[in-house]
Amino acid sequence: MSQNTTPRAARHPSPRNKRAAAVVGVGHTDWVEDWKRCRNGERPNDSYGYGLGAFRNALADAKISRDEVDGLIAGPTTAYERLGELAGIDPRWGGQADAVLAVSQAVMAIEAGYAEVVALIYGNDQRSVGTQYGGPDAMGGGAFLSYVYHSPWGFTSQGALYALTLQSYKHARGFTEAEMGEVSVAQRGWSSMNPNAIMRKPITLDDYLGSAFVCEPLHLFDYCLINDGGVALIIAEAERAKRMTDRPVFIEGVGRSDLNRGATSLEPRIDQFYLPAQQEAAAQSYAVSGLGPRDMDILQVYDSFSVHVPLALEGYGYCGIGEAGKFLRESRIGPGGKLPTNTSGGHLSETYMQGWAHQIECVRQLRGECGERQVQNARHVHYTSDVAGKCFSVIYGR
Amino acid sequence: MNVIDAKSPRPVMGLYDQPLWESVNARGMKLQRCAGCGNWLYPPGPSCPSCLSCELVWTPLSGRGRIVSWVVFHRHYLPAYPPPYNAVAVRLEEGPTMISNLEGAMPGEDSIGRAVRLVYATMPDGMILPRWALA
Ligand SMILES: [Zn+2]
Repeated sequence: MSQNTTPRAARHPSPRNKRAAAVVGVGHTDWVEDWKRCRNGERPNDSYGYGLGAFRNALADAKISRDEVDGLIAGPTTAYERLGELAGIDPRWGGQADAVLAVSQAVMAIEAGYAEVVALIYGNDQRSVGTQYGGPDAMGGGAFLSYVYHSPWGFTSQGALYALTLQSYKHARGFTEAEMGEVSVAQRGWSSMNPNAIMRKPITLDDYLGSAFVCEPLHLFDYCLINDGGVALIIAEAERAKRMTDRPVFIEGVGRSDLNRGATSLEPRIDQFYLPAQQEAAAQSYAVSGLGPRDMDILQVYDSFSVHVPLALEGYGYCGIGEAGKFLRESRIGPGGKLPTNTSGGHLSETYMQGWAHQIECVRQLRGECGERQVQNARHVHYTSDVAGKCFSVIYGR
Repeated sequence: MNVIDAKSPRPVMGLYDQPLWESVNARGMKLQRCAGCGNWLYPPGPSCPSCLSCELVWTPLSGRGRIVSWVVFHRHYLPAYPPPYNAVAVRLEEGPTMISNLEGAMPGEDSIGRAVRLVYATMPDGMILPRWALA
């Protein structure tokens, strides 16, 4: 396959200010209650209703008035204008973005002086309206040709893309089915201590290995939940954040790197496991923050499927290439492990908020608000995502 | 609806896809090849991703490739595809990767790296689909 002619290591990050912005408020909806109601056939809210519910909670958490907000980012599942209308916000800067891009854009807008207090609002009624991530009515094909191009061969669903990734990864690295199982077992261990989590019953490796395949080699427990809900964050310019709250959570560094070449045929996933882009995104964020993997107390990984986690462990520098299986078995990522990872239970067990809930878990761990699942004295939390080859690295600190 | 009645999922038909499916129907699959740098395109497109040239020539494939990954679907997503059924990622001798199916055997532990050859399957509704069989 074609390779980038510029070595990735040679593309230096441009200088940016670390700690230019901080999270001052977070909020979410009652995922557990809405899960029960959706399972009962109800529609508790639409995407806007969930987003607004989370926004009210974030304002209350920040203890600020809506009038202080001068920037607005809507998540990908609501129209920007209608969300702004319902939120009653006429900002001087705005946009629409997925979770990690929203955080990144908020930081950029604040650094550039376009906004000082940015509200990030996400709501999704995917469960109650039956959003399909596979089959004849699969969503997302307009933005990602790979989601729909291979359907004549029966190749459909988000899970299939990651199943194909895991199969070649197992072959390339000698990664085993049991090592993959460590991820969902560990995350269920975390969610069992999280009252906000939808799935709280602990599972064992035997439960994992004995569970049905959906798209082999992925088991049911490797898949994210599909549920309704909302998440909101308020991000403010750092000096203002310090005046607003005595517990700001700073964004220490952001890195991004994409792999688009060969994307429709899934080459960046099945040949490269997103590794070069993860490494470059990591290098950027580590350079800006002056931090590295050893400084991280917690890792949060975008986990639509469990296989994101071993890829992230290698790509963002937590272990050597080919060592993720050993790391999962020996160092461990669950409660009591060396690298607490997805401490809320993540998409697999807490709530599928498409990366948004991971941001507020980063914030709450750094504020020390996580109760039974709290990682003691957490100072730095690393969020990583590699959705469709858009690799991000965001470091939060207090 | 049973499998015989189920319509095969339709291919994405962008502006550049028609010649590909015409060549498949003629059982001689072609892809665009760049006259400038020799790069092969899949899926079809307006210009060459390697050199940005628009001089693309529809050229027959050798029909040779190797399996680089595989999956088995155990859930019923599409009416024409009752589970279990497989999908394979094949690296064409020409370079591109194609997601398709393996005919004649289910893939397994030793499949990755195996040589495969292009075959043309006729679906129950008459659609002709390029697939792969162990070489
Ligand atoms: Zn070319």
